[in-house]
Amino acid sequence: MFGHYLALGVRHLRRNPVLTALMVVTLGVGVAASMATLTVLRAMSGDPIPHKSDRLFAPRVDIRPDDASDPDPEPPLQLAYRDAVALHGARRGVRQTVLYGVAPAIDPGRPDLPPFFSNGIAVHADFFAMFDVPFVKGGAWSADDDTRGGRVVVVRQSLATRLFGSAEPIGQSVKLRDRDYVVTGVVADAWDPLPRFYRQIGGQGAFTGMEDVYVPFATAIAAELDQNGSTSCYNSGDNDVPGFEGLKQSQCVWLQLWVELASAGDAAAYRDFLAGYMAEQRKLGRFPRGDNYRLHDVMGWLDANQVVAEDSRLQTYVAFGFLLVCLVNTIGLMLAKFTARRGEIGVRRALGARRLAVFQQHLIEAGVIGLVGGAVGLVLTLGFLWLIGRQSTQLAVLARMDWVMFAATFALAIVASLLAGLLPTWRAMQVQPALQLKSQ
Amino acid sequence: MLVMKNLSKVYRTAMIETHALRGFDIHVREGEFVAVTGPSGSGKTTFLNIAGLLEEFTSGEYHLDGKDVRGLGDDARSRLRNEKLGFIFQGFNLIPDLDLYQNVEVPLRYRGLGRAERRTRIEEALAQVGLASRMRHYPAELSGGQQQRVAIARALAGKPRVLLADEPTGNLDSQMARSVLELLEEINAGGTTILMVTHDPELAARAKRNVHIIDGQVSDLVHEPVLRAVDAAAAP
Repeated sequence: MFGHYLALGVRHLRRNPVLTALMVVTLGVGVAASMATLTVLRAMSGDPIPHKSDRLFAPRVDIRPDDASDPDPEPPLQLAYRDAVALHGARRGVRQTVLYGVAPAIDPGRPDLPPFFSNGIAVHADFFAMFDVPFVKGGAWSADDDTRGGRVVVVRQSLATRLFGSAEPIGQSVKLRDRDYVVTGVVADAWDPLPRFYRQIGGQGAFTGMEDVYVPFATAIAAELDQNGSTSCYNSGDNDVPGFEGLKQSQCVWLQLWVELASAGDAAAYRDFLAGYMAEQRKLGRFPRGDNYRLHDVMGWLDANQVVAEDSRLQTYVAFGFLLVCLVNTIGLMLAKFTARRGEIGVRRALGARRLAVFQQHLIEAGVIGLVGGAVGLVLTLGFLWLIGRQSTQLAVLARMDWVMFAATFALAIVASLLAGLLPTWRAMQVQPALQLKSQ
Repeated sequence: MLVMKNLSKVYRTAMIETHALRGFDIHVREGEFVAVTGPSGSGKTTFLNIAGLLEEFTSGEYHLDGKDVRGLGDDARSRLRNEKLGFIFQGFNLIPDLDLYQNVEVPLRYRGLGRAERRTRIEEALAQVGLASRMRHYPAELSGGQQQRVAIARALAGKPRVLLADEPTGNLDSQMARSVLELLEEINAGGTTILMVTHDPELAARAKRNVHIIDGQVSDLVHEPVLRAVDAAAAP
């Protein structure tokens, strides 16, 4: 009977086209508003590396002076050079990397391609394995390059094409600022984690600006590649020593550290290690605010950085509230539609339809309305996302529909229409045939 | 076939109790063609609705084809309606956006018959009422008489034990009414029991038995319709 009821549902759409159109559009608009905001929210709050996000950790330690100048109980999001290097050097994780943004000028040495600034990042070699960075050619530099500050570099596929065309990029030389670096690997352009979780501070935001150049951390420090990002200084005297060396010696925070642990359960041991490190440093007069540290896994780190703004969540709640209003309207329209068919229901009941059969028929019809409403909602969602994407480059990255959201749009429309159809269907089921047949 | 004993039906609102049927007794035998007459508000339609299991009764007994229907749930009543009863209404009550084939198919689908058997029954039923060639037409494309014939075909397709007709010719002109009545007589001759509510004395006269209802009670049972006797007397 399902196929028969489905066919009847489709046929009944044509019986009162104005009422049908109203229901479909009402449902479609509600679904589109919800799905458009949900799509953006989902992209913002999704797990960018789900298979290991619970094993990747970013530590924070509270380096601030113990005064009332900054009452925020949360420690700074970044680390000072000496802490980052010390914690990295302890090698308490399976892998670890310090990172900071750099923006060295690249001189292609070609008359047709003038020098330009790149968007780069200084990291340890573990970075690539920790974050599952895919290579299209070559690979990461060696541990020895990390230690001695080798003149090596990894570039993104698009930059490799720009610099070398179709020539083999591995082994080629890239001039960053005034020094040549040998390309050891080419990262696939397809690598585009969303949000860009590993580098939340500085750069081009949480959703855009993938790096073109990856330089060994030790090399970047030795070359005094300036930090391209955010620096926060809390202690007086932080700027006593000028230049890059001064930044290294200061208590200013400008680096991030990521540690990959063997399992999520190892976080407790790492916290103990952090507490121990701070206690040891306190003996040297540092960390006056006590054991105020944090150890975030990937999702915790995104929360700490408020990647999903509260107003984004609020917009989604409002959109779903709007869907609720649309549903209430759809219930009213469906009630009108089914009430107009009381006579037919009476005839069907007289001819032997059980109440359950009437219920099934009308609920499936509500589902058909949902299916058509879903199609309309999908078109409107794409339209809304296009409009959202036009607001900014970051939103353009987020406002993209994938297959999951495509399916979710239809699912939401059908579920919403079935919910809206429950009351009208229940009322249809209650029709007393004797009352309807005489009045036909 | 259809037995009601001391049956009553009371409609209650907060203020008023209306006795639509009281102490109602009737026994319709298999193969009978019974006309139910009575003034407006006498309880004819209530009787037909109860006979058709479309309404429940307040007290008394009702046996349909030997089955006590008192206290049956909605599902069981629906199944009985589908298997044992056929309905013909004054307003035809065809479903406007189904063609004739699909209209006749409705009760057969609820019975769960397979596609082949449904087709056979529908074609037979529409052929019986003379509309086999128009099975893909819609009700709006037919005259009133033809629509009533489709309604009869719909009732016949289920091979009911009892055909319940409520003013089956009430919306038809005299010529069409005669043709529908002839069809009903033909069906009755085939063995189907017919219970017909009518205001029309001429129609009632052609039934095998008349039942007159006044104030919710059977006032008299006339086994040989009066008008048939009058017609016979008037004949040369």
